[in-house]
Amino acid sequence: MNSTDDKHDIGCLKAIELFYAYLDGELDDPTANADFEHHMSHCRSCYSRQEIEQLLTKRMRESAKSQAPDVLQDRLRKLMDGLQDGEH
Amino acid sequence: MDALYGVALRLAGRGVDAEDLVADAVMKAWTAIDTLADRSRFRPWIFRILRNCYFSDYRKKAVRPSESSLQEDDEHALAALLNEQPDEFLIWWANPERQFYNDVLGETIMAAIRSLPEAFQVTILLINVEGLTYDEAAAALDVPQGTIRSRMKRARTLLQKSLWEQAQDAGITSTEQ
Repeated sequence: MNSTDDKHDIGCLKAIELFYAYLDGELDDPTANADFEHHMSHCRSCYSRQEIEQLLTKRMRESAKSQAPDVLQDRLRKLMDGLQDGEH
Repeated sequence: MDALYGVALRLAGRGVDAEDLVADAVMKAWTAIDTLADRSRFRPWIFRILRNCYFSDYRKKAVRPSESSLQEDDEHALAALLNEQPDEFLIWWANPERQFYNDVLGETIMAAIRSLPEAFQVTILLINVEGLTYDEAAAALDVPQGTIRSRMKRARTLLQKSLWEQAQDAGITSTEQ
C-alpha cells in the first residue's frame, strides 16, 4: 500500500472500507465517493486492487449464472395452470 | 426464473432439491401476491420467500458450514479480518497477480464461492451475480442494509483468500514481492 503526503487523501485503510460499496455502486455519499476516487487516482496499489476486483466480479457473473432446467420450467407452467384453474 | 434457480441451487445444493425449492417458493408467492403492496419490490420479495422456504423446509437436509462464528455486524470486522491473515496473503491482497485472475477457471471461482459460509455465498450471488441492490438484498435476506455491506466486505475478502490458497496450491504465488 502507498503512503502519501496529500492531506486530503483518505489513506488505504479507509479506501478498503469503502471499496466494495463503491464497486457495487452503493456508495451514496458524494463526499465519500469523491474521496475514494481521489485516493484511487494516485494509489497504484489500491487502483490495481480495484481492477482485479472488477475482473473477479465479471468472472463470477460469467461462471455462476445458472439456467433453470427445462423440466423445472414445465413443472412451473403446470403449477401455474393448476393454480389458475383452482381460482375459477 | 434463472436467478431464483441459481440461488436455490446454491442453497439447497442439489438439482432436484433446488427445483423443489423454486416450485414451493413460486407457489407461495402466487398465493400471497395480494399481500405485496409495492409491485416494484417483487424481486426482493420472491427471493425472501425462497429463503424462508429454504430455512423452514430444506435446511435440515443440507450440510453447510456453521455461521456461528460470523461477526458480520462489527464495523471493524474487515480490518480485524485482515489482521488475522498471514502476511503472505496480505502481500497477495495488496499486489494481486493479474495473470492468475485472467486465467482462473470458472470452476475455481465456484469452488471458492462454495467455500464461504452460507450467508456470504447467498449475499454475493444476489448482488454480484443476480444484480440485486444492497437494499433489495437486505429485504430478500431479512437483514439490515448495514449487514449486507459488512457481509460483502468480508465475503469478498474471504473469496480472495480462498483463491490465494488455490493459487498457492498451484504454485503461482510467491512470498517474495
